[in-house]
This record gives sequence, structure tokens and C-alpha cells, in this order.
Amino acid sequence: MQFDDWNAAQDYFFANGLTDGLPVIPPTPERVQAMLDYAGVDAEHDLGTEVIRQKRFTAGKAAVNAVMAGCRPEYFPVVMASLSAIAERPFNLHASSTSTNGVTALTVVSGPYAEAIGMSGGVEMMGNGNRANATIGRAVNLFKANFYGSTPVVMDNSTFGHPGKISFCFPENLAISPWPSLASEKGYGDDATIVTAYATLAPLQVTLHGDRNPADLLTTVAHAMLAFGPGMPEVICVISPEAMGHVTTAGWSRQQVAEFLHEKARLPASEWMRWHRMGHELDHDRMVPVVPDADRITVLPGGGMAGGFVSLISTWGSSRSVTRRVTVPGQGTQ
Amino acid sequence: MTTQGTPIITLDPRDDTAPALPRLARRPASLDGKVIGLFANNKPHSEDLLRRIAAIIGERYDIAGTVEHNKGGWQWPARIEDLQRTAQSIDVALHATAE
Repeated sequence: MQFDDWNAAQDYFFANGLTDGLPVIPPTPERVQAMLDYAGVDAEHDLGTEVIRQKRFTAGKAAVNAVMAGCRPEYFPVVMASLSAIAERPFNLHASSTSTNGVTALTVVSGPYAEAIGMSGGVEMMGNGNRANATIGRAVNLFKANFYGSTPVVMDNSTFGHPGKISFCFPENLAISPWPSLASEKGYGDDATIVTAYATLAPLQVTLHGDRNPADLLTTVAHAMLAFGPGMPEVICVISPEAMGHVTTAGWSRQQVAEFLHEKARLPASEWMRWHRMGHELDHDRMVPVVPDADRITVLPGGGMAGGFVSLISTWGSSRSVTRRVTVPGQGTQ
Repeated sequence: MTTQGTPIITLDPRDDTAPALPRLARRPASLDGKVIGLFANNKPHSEDLLRRIAAIIGERYDIAGTVEHNKGGWQWPARIEDLQRTAQSIDVALHATAE
């Protein structure tokens, strides 16, 4: 496509619904090629096929959208890994893209490559200010709209939507974590970097000021989880450094935190039914959890040093998270 | 930064491959004598809606009956084997959602 100038290109992208409402970097062939060169792949490199719409994701189209999002070339391996993840069947991209719930593709990065490319797991990890976080998440969601077709009104009829539908990406904060990385715990090894893609709704911040005992502060978190209702496929729980300090001091493991939340975040079937949050249940006294088992709760340390908070992120319907290893040419798999 | 007056070439972020769209089956000229398959997606009231539509169709045509199938959830496609089995016993299919 040829335009008279930069402004004309912007006008075209806006007029044709090819932006998220913000200006984009025009994807010139040179910029796109720089992405591909960094990753050591050609434009036809296969990232996977989404089976419902029969869309084959290619590195070339991923690179175009990554340029538009403002990515630097070194971010592109993370973008590719995330797009490979959302193409997988369990992510359920098609149905989640059409939901009125307002679903975004969240990319969580775990491993040393996140720090190498300057991602922030500290202050504003889910907010503004960090180019890698902001543009990787934006690239994934621009691709989802521009390439896959999940554009507002046409396919995506989110009732409210939320800011994370423009960009939602952050790393696990390994510097404040007493635990092995998620990459390590998932069996990829200490030196590996992985992305895990989740189909998520908006985050819910929970205030924990005053609680020092992990059981007390996590009970507050469990109460907040009840707002999600039963049958939640997965929940992500990001614990701020201040709150993590209490968890670390008490010697709780990641698994203990998840199991505590799983056990506490539940109500009798009769109460869920009264709220119309579940269908008919013969055993009205059965305690029904928000998530079916503790392994569906991902616990992550992260955020700025000041403030006792947890950010809870619920996931959508029948989608499940998908993990992919980040591959950086010349450095092997990261 | 040059923003005006300099021509610029960009690539297209959209999928420019030809879509592999399924073709629609031929439409019957009339629903008289036809068995109508009602495919519900398990949304609240989806079966009620389909039955009401079938009842209205039944007032206008001399249909041979209905066959109901609930695919179990609105978040996943129907299983191919279920569709194929149901297709053997119906002439036309009706799908709708509700809330």
C-alpha cells in the first residue's frame, strides 16, 4: 500500500478499522523485515493455525502488526510465542473473541528474556510507561483484530470492553520472588523463558493493608474471588512485593497460596443458585469452588514496592491458558 | 521525523489469503413434509426459542416433525459426529441463540 505521507497512512489505518483507536507505526517493508531478521524467520514462517476460522498465523503478518504496535525487533520472539499460544485449540480464540464479556489476550512472560528486553514487573507492570510490556501486548491484540478479524462490532461485541483489550502483557517479577520461576515450575528449566497466554477479563485490585498473616490477607483475596462466580476456568493472582513479604516471611510456597485460595473461595451450591450463578444442583449443601482445582490458580509476584495489594484476573468461559517457549535465534531457546 | 510530504509504502496487517468459506446447501422450495432439526447451544431459553420458532413454522407449513439436539455449550462448536448423526434424520436445520 502506498500513501502520500505518514499522515495519509494513519488516516487509512483509522478509516479501515486497523487500529485500536490509537495511532500506529506505519509498517514499512524495512521495519517489518527488521522484525523477521531479528527472529531469523521468513514471512511465511508458520506460527500455528486457528482451527475454527482456519486462519494460519504467519510470522510476516505478526511482524506487520508488531511494527504497528511499536515493538522493537527484540520483542518479536515474545510476540511470536504468544501468537502461537493463542492459535492453539484450548485457548478458544474464536469464541472468546466474540463474547460480550470483553475478553483480551493476556501475555504473561516468565524467564530471563523478559529482563533482557527491558520488561517491567515492577511499578505499573499492568499500566503505562514500559515500552516492551505495552507494545508486546498491543501487538498480540492488534494481530487478533487486524489479522484474525476480531474487530469491534464486526466480531467483537464486548459489552464494556476494558483497557487491557488494547494491551495486556507483563512479566513475572523474579527479583522479588522467593519461588522458582513459572518457567522452571512448568518444566522448561531455570534458563528458559516462556509466555503463557490467557483469555482474560479486566483485573480486579484488592487492598490488603493491615493484614500481615498470609491466611488473613489471602482470605480477603478469596472473598474478592467470589465475585467471579463458580466454574471459573482459571484465575491469575498477582501479589505485590509488600504483601509478598508477609507470604515469604511465613514460608508459604506458591502451591500453598493457590491451595488456600482454592479452599477458601467457595460457597454452598444453594447460594450460587440463589444468585443465578449456577444451574440446578441436587446437593444444595455442596461447597462449590470458584475454580475447579488449585492448579487453575496462577500465583505471581509483581508490582511496585509500595502498597499491599493483589490483582486478581479472571479468565473467560471455556478458554484455557496455553504456554509456549520463547525462541531467540543465536541464543537458542530462552 | 518526516510526517508530511514524503511518500510512504506499508504492508497490510490483514489476512489477505482467500477465505475457505463453506458453501451453503441448496434451500428447499417448501418446508412441507420436512423434518426440522433444532440445534440449541445451551444458552438459557435457547431450546424454548427454537421450539417457538418451530411452532410458528408449523403453522405455515405441514412439517413432518422436529428433532432436537443440544450441543452442550455456546462456547464450543458442535461435535462433527453429532452433526453428522443428526443430519441423517432431518431435512433442514435451525440454529438460534438466546439469553
